[in-house]
Amino acid sequence: MSAPIAVELVNATGLHARPAVKFTKLAKTFAGAGVEVALAEAGPWIDAKSVAKVMALKAPRGAMLFMRASGEQAAAALAALGDLVRGGFGEADGAG
Amino acid sequence: MEFDEALRRRLIGSVAQRVIDHAEELTALDQAIGDGDHGINMKRGFAAVLESLDSIAAEPLPKALHAVGMTLVMKVGGASGPLYGTLFMQLGKTLPEAPTRSVAAEAFATAIAAVKARGKSDVGAKTLLDVLVPVQAALRDGAADPAQVADDAAAATVPMQASRGRASFLGARSVGHVDPGARSAALMLRAACEVLGG
Amino acid sequence: MSNVGIVIVSHSADVARGTADMVRQMVGADVPLAHCGGAPGGGLGTDVAAILAAIDAAWSEAGVAILVDLGGAETNSEMAIEMQPEARRDRIVICNAPVVEGAVIGATEASAGSPLAAVRAAAEEALR
Repeated sequence: MSAPIAVELVNATGLHARPAVKFTKLAKTFAGAGVEVALAEAGPWIDAKSVAKVMALKAPRGAMLFMRASGEQAAAALAALGDLVRGGFGEADGAG
Repeated sequence: MEFDEALRRRLIGSVAQRVIDHAEELTALDQAIGDGDHGINMKRGFAAVLESLDSIAAEPLPKALHAVGMTLVMKVGGASGPLYGTLFMQLGKTLPEAPTRSVAAEAFATAIAAVKARGKSDVGAKTLLDVLVPVQAALRDGAADPAQVADDAAAATVPMQASRGRASFLGARSVGHVDPGARSAALMLRAACEVLGG
Repeated sequence: MSNVGIVIVSHSADVARGTADMVRQMVGADVPLAHCGGAPGGGLGTDVAAILAAIDAAWSEAGVAILVDLGGAETNSEMAIEMQPEARRDRIVICNAPVVEGAVIGATEASAGSPLAAVRAAAEEALR
């Protein structure tokens, strides 16, 4: 696994419902990477491609989302997911 | 006994009408321990059977019963549709055109097994099976009054606690009430016995 | 479209429609989707004819995952599967999942092109 990166959740609802779906859909496009997320650097780390598990994190706005990845697409996956979170998931209420 | 068109018409028509006549009672029973729609659902299903009675009764017994079952599946809705639908469709698959009582009892056993599989249930769960099973045994053993066996079996569901279906969510509160499915089964069986001469 | 299709079966037409709306809004249009709810005569309940129509509407060569709410919805869905042509029967599954969460999570998995077994497994993860 790569060293973790941390990105702040800036959109109003945090990692709920629709943002969680967008997050896992994007993670899944990186078939060559395993991706995990956590709310703390020490974990617990959960599979970012499991929408049920990502929703269960119930990460609110303002929380730091830690991400790490493995495999050939690890760097690309983290870059894309980081951008998604930083951009507020493209939701109207997300701060840019 | 020859199951000619007139007899088929009387048999199916009588069973259907009996359920329709008792729809309000079935609703009341289902309001006590279910979601209150057993009467309405069964009435809808059997009204559709009556509407098609001409074409249903025109067919030999196996096809007629299959058609009844299919109508119930499509029109009853709720959990009873698949259960009674399966009962009639399976009877239609196994019965010959002019069954004797003992052949009918065997076919009934096969149909009951299909209902058990469909409902993932068995006797003792406070369902229609608690009437169907004892009546099948009565038929098999040549009992004199299967209709009475049916009525007694339905009454015997009163002290039971439901462990299947909507009523099972009530747990102990389902005790003290007749199961609506048991009652509708008994009504149908009595109607059938009246036409077939016990 | 060869993503697995999602069929929503509820006792309530409103719940079925609302669940479908949530799936469309959250997951998008990449997944074949159909919903049905209510008794044959109206009111609460489930209707085999409507389930059959929904399976047809959401049919995909990759198969269909059905989400149901309570007892009767499951039993009537089982009947609908048995009434399918044989070629389709083993490509339709009923998920053991809560109807809303299972539909959203299953549809998410389906939109990623996952096969039927993975869609069902994802939906059933929702039953925490």
